[in-house]
Amino acid sequence: MRALLGLVAYNAFLLAVGIAVLAALRGWRSWSDLARCAGLAYLLGVGLVGVALTLELVVGVPFSMATLLLTGAGLVVVALTLRAPLARWRPSLPPDRPGGLGFVTLAFGLLVVVCLEALFRAGRLAGLSAWDAWAFWVPKAKAIYFFGGLDEQFFRELANPTYPPLLPALEAGAFHFMGSADVVTLHLQFWFFACGFAAAVAGLLAPRVSPFLLWPFLLLVLVAPRVAGRNLDPQADFLLDYFFALAALLVALWLVEREPWLLASACLLMAAALLTKREGLMLVACLVAAAFVGSWRHRRYAWPRLGLAAAVALAAAIPWRIWFSSRDLTGELPAAGALALFDHLDRAWPALDSALTALFDYDLWLVILPLVVVAVLLAYVGGARVIPTFALALYALTTAGITWALWAFTELELPFVQDEGVNPIVRLSGSLVVASAALVPLLLDAAWHGSDGPAEDRS
Amino acid sequence: MRRLARAGVASCVALAIAFGLVYFVRTVDELGDDAETHAATNYDDREFAGGNSLVVDKRALYEARAVIPEDGDYRLVPGPRVEGATELTEQYIDQYARYFLMPRRPAPDAEWIICYGCDPAGLERPATVVWDNGAGISILEASD
Repeated sequence: MRALLGLVAYNAFLLAVGIAVLAALRGWRSWSDLARCAGLAYLLGVGLVGVALTLELVVGVPFSMATLLLTGAGLVVVALTLRAPLARWRPSLPPDRPGGLGFVTLAFGLLVVVCLEALFRAGRLAGLSAWDAWAFWVPKAKAIYFFGGLDEQFFRELANPTYPPLLPALEAGAFHFMGSADVVTLHLQFWFFACGFAAAVAGLLAPRVSPFLLWPFLLLVLVAPRVAGRNLDPQADFLLDYFFALAALLVALWLVEREPWLLASACLLMAAALLTKREGLMLVACLVAAAFVGSWRHRRYAWPRLGLAAAVALAAAIPWRIWFSSRDLTGELPAAGALALFDHLDRAWPALDSALTALFDYDLWLVILPLVVVAVLLAYVGGARVIPTFALALYALTTAGITWALWAFTELELPFVQDEGVNPIVRLSGSLVVASAALVPLLLDAAWHGSDGPAEDRS
Repeated sequence: MRRLARAGVASCVALAIAFGLVYFVRTVDELGDDAETHAATNYDDREFAGGNSLVVDKRALYEARAVIPEDGDYRLVPGPRVEGATELTEQYIDQYARYFLMPRRPAPDAEWIICYGCDPAGLERPATVVWDNGAGISILEASD
């Protein structure tokens, strides 16, 4: 119980930081508006605290409960200090819509709550079974917790030494709040991440799309076998997916609404994604490239801003790259080099085939990716252009990125026949599936209304 | 075209609702089974979890925790002599022990030696057996 209460306190701490960030970037009109944005605020807090802790670890700041609390307090102070200077970029928020939650929202919202409650009970007493979790993710977190930093021995000897330490740092923070390296209760930290993601998607889309479009797809992603079965594993896969999916949603919304806070929030989440796993670089690159494609018609306005957001996100990731490069730690790129794939052209088709097979695997992801394809087509048929072009580019580029990874890492056997528990393609494809919970409702809304624009522009 | 698009949207929503509801029931059921399984697991099995597939005798690592101080070093020497070893034991026990015994550190010249199927006679330094499970796993302390 002590560990559980400590974990609740930790996540309240992360939420508090995120609320301060939200206050600086967007603000809120009412308590109900703040409640609706709580999920986004929470993940902004997770991302910002994770990035800050990672940078502190890289420069050698001792990791302890004191520095953890001071970091959070410092971030809150900075955010609130920036509130006044950023005032002119904050949006003028519309009044809350009259009437309470509709029947569809209540019904599906209840299903989502029941699903998350079942997830909580499953994770409450789960042991650390996932191989990568005990092989390197949790040991890195333990090393930070026990030794107060990026211990030279463990961060050199543990597998995947170039993987950024954002998640281990967050896990170490959880250990401090729990009072011990409780790897059982740690599973519930990932439950908080899942709840935060669901709440963030619902909160961002609820004022923009019909509940008939929002809730069924959110529920569908949550109950996809791979998502329901593995999202509590103390690994970085789903946290990366949440950062990526929310950043993609925020960018999509920014492309049509042009509110600066949307792009600023996306920038923060992209930085967090870059520091969560090495695949984050590929995913963020695809996201930014897709945004460039989607904003082609308004490129004079959009491209400089997108470029700036990408540069700021990338800047946050550079210190970690300097840290592991200076210690001659390798594994970030294919052993034969990023372009050595041209020496293995015979792997191209098997790589693409493996990627598509994983993405459209019914036993893993149900019918989510086929629905994405249909949603993009319908959006075009309906007359929208920006959202479906962005989504098409994002899915195509990310699929190409996954294919590149399979093609270039020649030590991976192709075609992949291994169990999904050890299959890296499955983990990579999860990012697009999770993003679908956010993007499909937006696509279908654009198809229904025949345009990309904000709802108030459709009258 | 707008009518076609809207018909398509309605179809997608219907499909999502159908699959979502069916798999909602299945997911909640399966998660409930997982919760029951985890609750029924004893403390040791829950603590070892993934290690149950390669540790063979949990007492060894518990004993190592007890005798090796938290700021101490250890060396794990794997070998083929563990009774009941799985195909994963010899290859991965060092990784699992590194996770399980933290903050204790693995070190090549450590005073404490965990012999996991090794030949104790083949150790470079003379060592005293501190614990032995009689099935190929022992903990030794090097003698100076």
